[in-house]
Amino acid sequence: MAEKRERYQNRIELLQGTLDLLILQTLQWGAQHGYGISVAIRNRSGELLQVDTGSLYPALHRLEKQKWIAAEWRISENKQRAKFYRLTATGKKQLTRERSRWAQLSDAIAGVLQPEE
Amino acid sequence: MDLWRRKKRETELDEELLSHLEMATRERVERGDAAKDAERAARREFGNVGLVKETARDIWGWRWVEDFVEDVRYGLRLLRKSPGFTAIVVLTLALGIGANTAIFSVVYGVLLRPLDYPKAEQVVRVWGTNAAGGEMNFSDPNFQDLAAQSHDFQGLAQYTSQIASVAGGTQPIRALGTAASRDFFPVFDAQPAVGRGFLDEEQRVGGPRVAVVSYAFWRDSLGSTSDLSRIRLKVDNEAYSVIGVMHPGFSFPGETAVWVPRESFPTLPSRTANNWRVIGRLRDGVNLEQANSDVRVIARRLKQQYGDDTSMSDASLLRLQDEMVRSVRPALLMLGGAAAFLLLVACANIVNLLLARAAGRSREFAARAALGASRGRLLRQGLTEVALLTVLGGALGILFAVWGVGALLDLAPENLPRANEIGIHFPVLLFALVVCGVVAAAVGVSTALRSTVSNPLRGLAEGGRVGSASSHALRRTLAAGQVAITLVLLVGAGLLSRSLGRLLAVDPGFRSSGVVTADLSLPEVENEAARAGRAQFFGQLFAQLRRLPGVEQAGAVNVLPLTGDIADGTFLRLQPGEQIKDFRQFERLAHNPERAGYAYYMAASEGYFQTFRIPLLRGRHFDSRDGMDAPHAALVSESLAQAVWPKEDPLGRLIEFGNMDGDLRPLTIVGVVGDVRARGLEAPPEPVIYTNLLQRPQQQSNVSIVLRTAADPGVLNAELLKQVRRLDPTLPVRVRPFAQIFDASLVHRRFTMILLGAFAGVALLLALVGVHGVISYAVSERTREIGVRMALGARPADVLRMVFGQGAGMVAAGTSLGILAALGLSRFLQSLLYEIRAADALTYGCVTLFLVFVALLACLIPARRAMNVDPMVALRYE
Repeated sequence: MAEKRERYQNRIELLQGTLDLLILQTLQWGAQHGYGISVAIRNRSGELLQVDTGSLYPALHRLEKQKWIAAEWRISENKQRAKFYRLTATGKKQLTRERSRWAQLSDAIAGVLQPEE
Repeated sequence: MDLWRRKKRETELDEELLSHLEMATRERVERGDAAKDAERAARREFGNVGLVKETARDIWGWRWVEDFVEDVRYGLRLLRKSPGFTAIVVLTLALGIGANTAIFSVVYGVLLRPLDYPKAEQVVRVWGTNAAGGEMNFSDPNFQDLAAQSHDFQGLAQYTSQIASVAGGTQPIRALGTAASRDFFPVFDAQPAVGRGFLDEEQRVGGPRVAVVSYAFWRDSLGSTSDLSRIRLKVDNEAYSVIGVMHPGFSFPGETAVWVPRESFPTLPSRTANNWRVIGRLRDGVNLEQANSDVRVIARRLKQQYGDDTSMSDASLLRLQDEMVRSVRPALLMLGGAAAFLLLVACANIVNLLLARAAGRSREFAARAALGASRGRLLRQGLTEVALLTVLGGALGILFAVWGVGALLDLAPENLPRANEIGIHFPVLLFALVVCGVVAAAVGVSTALRSTVSNPLRGLAEGGRVGSASSHALRRTLAAGQVAITLVLLVGAGLLSRSLGRLLAVDPGFRSSGVVTADLSLPEVENEAARAGRAQFFGQLFAQLRRLPGVEQAGAVNVLPLTGDIADGTFLRLQPGEQIKDFRQFERLAHNPERAGYAYYMAASEGYFQTFRIPLLRGRHFDSRDGMDAPHAALVSESLAQAVWPKEDPLGRLIEFGNMDGDLRPLTIVGVVGDVRARGLEAPPEPVIYTNLLQRPQQQSNVSIVLRTAADPGVLNAELLKQVRRLDPTLPVRVRPFAQIFDASLVHRRFTMILLGAFAGVALLLALVGVHGVISYAVSERTREIGVRMALGARPADVLRMVFGQGAGMVAAGTSLGILAALGLSRFLQSLLYEIRAADALTYGCVTLFLVFVALLACLIPARRAMNVDPMVALRYE
């Protein structure tokens, strides 16, 4: 039995831009298929962020449309055919932009939350 | 629209999701879950596959196509579920669209389609104007001066046409022959299909007798022989050799079969012998208005230079196409407007029907909105439904139009200009499409906006029938509008029919019932011997015809009343014993207003006046006393006698009218006959001088025999033909009862009146349905309210008054609006009316009374239903 921790079912409140950021970051470490991306995000967030497929796949297709990621069919480690996504050059640039935007946002929020001195 | 790629994407997505699911399942199995549980859990975590796919598809961007297909399918299903509703709407649409398409095909073919000549906009007709403002032809010297002095034309030609007896080796027929000058064919850029045009040496007096024939004539009467030298053509018994055949489709003017060079006839030096029509092609870049004013300047200059020697004081020109259709343009445009009105009435009914149905579906719309459909989505669906109906209605409408155009052509006047161009051409179909589109947009937007309620709660809560006050007002306004338009159309039809009635009541001066005519084309009379022969021919013919059973009277005339142009000119009053020696002397005397008069010229035989029952007012008829050697006799019409000899007796006076037929012998007036409207029923009676046909058989070779008979005209036709053939088997004859000619002179008016009447009738029907529908619907909506009122003590009469009052108000508003609109629009009808003012009180009064009566009746029926509402039932009504 796993610890009954509060599952942050962050489905609706996960900003669209944030999910894009997470996907792009995940792909920075190498090409991955959709399932692998969701597992990676879940693990690295300490089981906090469970990306549901209803958001994941539309996001993947959106990013593919923007040409920030590129897709190709390969055989996975389990000898299964899967669609692998990788980061493109423009995608890398977008990732940098998103990261800095996120940093700015979190600084701003941190500034607001700073206890009054 | 790469459907193949879309399919590929779909299958890829399926595969991707499937592999995801498998991997998730495998992971759970590896973690230790049982296989089946693993799969179920994986699926649950996966979420709604369908939604995933849908969102992915959204990203791809083909959503709207799928939505559209979905809408269409749903719309078709709805239509199928209510076949009655669909049928009514489609039929109403088809009527409106069909009528408009049919009329537009006529308007397009006659008015809009360019003529079939290269650069047809450059081809213009030029004509002269006399001092009284009437149109007239050109004389030879005036034409030559125009050609010499004008710089606006690439080519200018004169032409004139006449029915002649034409034989190509077989039986002679009556056909149209045209004498055309050098530039005639170049003006049209018309090339011969076989052979060649005229050579210079053929275009002179005394040149070889050559002719060019039309393609239709060559095909029908000359057997399409490719060797033209084999053809023996005879025109009015003169032999001609055929040197060319014009390309198919060319037969200007009218249905010309044979063209001969004008130059083979001598030119007349007189500037008052106006025998020629003129056609020309403007130079590239010459502006029409500029050319028009240039021509006027030249005409006025000529008048100034020659004074009374020329009868032309002004001139004008118009594009050939405009000139050909100007007589029918007002009527056609008016009919186009009427058809558009009819469409408006039809659309109003459809909007009301759709609104009523949408109100019934308000619950459905509310539920959809609550489930998340955006207003735009619902609007789109509503529009798709309307578009479907419009497409169906439009398709059926085009079918109606095809049938309608056929019927129109059957009904149309024979001489409708460019009738052969009328058909369902591509621009007509395009027009139908555009009309469909506009109707769909207008109807769709107005109903869709109305029926998608912004607050779904209202729709769900109330009992499904959300009849807001404003939607009811819209319906009443539409119905009032229908009444107004119907009134306008009815007034128009009423005015036209009164016009026709007035025209029919006109006394033409002759009695046409029981008269049969036979048109003959006889060879020219060139000398005394021929003249004697002609007199003998007629004498024998009349004798034989009078002996036929049933024939009461027989006679002949050179041109029948109501059939066309009658020659007119100046005549001279002579002193007793005076003789005119030559035409120069004639011209000189013609300048003297004391001696000169103006009259139309007709040549009639003994018996003509009796046949047509034209009364003899003074003196005597032509009879056997007027032989070849006797003094030439003349009869004059009463108006002429009054005008020229107001206080004296015209009998015995001498006049000179030789300028019309080449015979300068003086005419002695032997009688005065009643006035006749020979040019047309609408024109006033003309002053006419009748010469004796046998004393003056003239250069023209067309004569019409007239018979008054009590017998069946059909039987007589055969007899008449036989008698004529017996005397001369080569004569082409056309026999027809005069009643046919009389009706033909009215056919334009009748045609317009019938069409407008048909439109008005259909509009009336639709409007009555509309009015009835609106009141009916209001009653059924307010049933509960009526029940309450009655329960509270209202009497049936009060309810009736309430409902009927609403309807009456609607009808009153519509009628007033209609009267105002009719008064405003009927100005445009004035040119089509005869002796009726466009604001004729009687017509307006009768139409208004009639319309109000039937419309109120249409309101009364549902109102009475309201009266019979049982309050108990009504209060329970849900």
